[in-house]
Amino acid sequence: MKTSTLAFTFLAASGLALPAAADALDDIISSGELRCAVVLDFPPMGSRDENNNPIGFDVDYCNDLAAALGVEAEIVETPFPERIPALMSGRVDVGVASTSDTLERAKTVGMSIPYFAFEMAVTARDGSGVTSFDTMKGKTVGATAGTYEAIALQEQVDAWGEGSFRPYQTQADVFLALAQGQIDATVSTSTVAQANVKSGNFEGISVVGMAPFDTDYVSLFAMREEYGLINYLNLFINQQVRTGRYAELYEKWVGGEVPDLTVGSVYR
Amino acid sequence: MFNYSFRWNQALQALPQMLEGALVTLQIAILSMAIGIVIAIVLTLFRLSGSKALSALAQTWVEVARNTPALFQIYMAHFGLGAFGIHLSPYASLLLGITFNNAGYLAENFRGALKAIPETQIRAGRSLGMPQLQAFRLIVMPQMLRIAFLPATNQMIWAILMTSLGVTVGMNTDLAGVTQDLNARSFRTFEFFALAAVIYYVIAKVVMLAARGIAWRMFRY
Repeated sequence: MKTSTLAFTFLAASGLALPAAADALDDIISSGELRCAVVLDFPPMGSRDENNNPIGFDVDYCNDLAAALGVEAEIVETPFPERIPALMSGRVDVGVASTSDTLERAKTVGMSIPYFAFEMAVTARDGSGVTSFDTMKGKTVGATAGTYEAIALQEQVDAWGEGSFRPYQTQADVFLALAQGQIDATVSTSTVAQANVKSGNFEGISVVGMAPFDTDYVSLFAMREEYGLINYLNLFINQQVRTGRYAELYEKWVGGEVPDLTVGSVYR
Repeated sequence: MFNYSFRWNQALQALPQMLEGALVTLQIAILSMAIGIVIAIVLTLFRLSGSKALSALAQTWVEVARNTPALFQIYMAHFGLGAFGIHLSPYASLLLGITFNNAGYLAENFRGALKAIPETQIRAGRSLGMPQLQAFRLIVMPQMLRIAFLPATNQMIWAILMTSLGVTVGMNTDLAGVTQDLNARSFRTFEFFALAAVIYYVIAKVVMLAARGIAWRMFRY
């Protein structure tokens, strides 16, 4: 055999012997662990119980996903602004973190079909004069930096041309600022607003109405190019609804009428 | 495993916005230094005054400013005072926190500089018929500020970098705030933060070079 033929045969053989590159889905299954980014100051989606254990809708959802994959779940506490950096830097496999599926974010990460839907409520400090969304005009308002409602509220304040907007790092800081009177009102998901008002941690605040923002559909997210994993997530969400598990979790953590996860006349 | 594709264009498009933020950053740093120097001189005089109460006050300020994190100082200015019904805007909270920190460090700077000036300088002034305060003002102070000038530029750079802590109290107009805002919208984290880091670096470098230039012009024999 000529040297070149030998070399070719060797190269071809070694090429065949190389395993196909594993994707994220395979990696998770073979590592036996699913690391989820979950926000834990966002009750009832994520918080901690009196023993400091993570609890909430997103925590249960991550556990369900891990069970479906046949692996152990690891909840990685991640503040709102750090969710996608946590994924990008490889600290988590999937985000189960009430992440709004904005088109801007979809340029960076892969979004699943919606797994939950939020409506937006206005919470105001008593005596601030804010009695509805429109009366927020000209007031100092705030929300959690980087969230869907923060972005929408900031745009609204810009459009009003008066008043000011303050982004805080955590939901807890927003409600602390509200209770102290640093801000007059905030827009948050109605679930968070109700949970915080009921908690009794913040005095003199109440939910005064709904904000006219579009329903906030939230997705699971994974690396943009991990189609295998994203595909799995989509089917998983579908199965959660089909089997009634979504309604069960909704009843457990939120209560009331289960929101529709689909938009009429269009796929996805 | 690293599979992030950089998209520098998105970050570069936001450059004008970030530079506007950098101006706010610089403004806060300069203001906090100016006020900090005045307070530091007062604290230094308190320590020299011989009054136990004033000296203790100055010492407490320096101890707290130097031995607690700047983040807490800013957070306390916003949420700490807020608990007592004193509401500062994010800008004011940030300025107050950094100024508090600056004054503490600068006071120590000035104390060190004072120690480097021989006591005979005052005596020389007194022998020319100057009152104590005038001798201090005309002879000691200029020398003290001169010795403390270059160490103080370190503090100026530190002040610029400290402004980035303002995001914890809702600051959204300085460089860190603007960057965070952009990041929240698109999550091009690495690009935006890298660009912001470069801007911070350039500002710090320019301030340092400018300070050296000033020192060279003002203090050469």
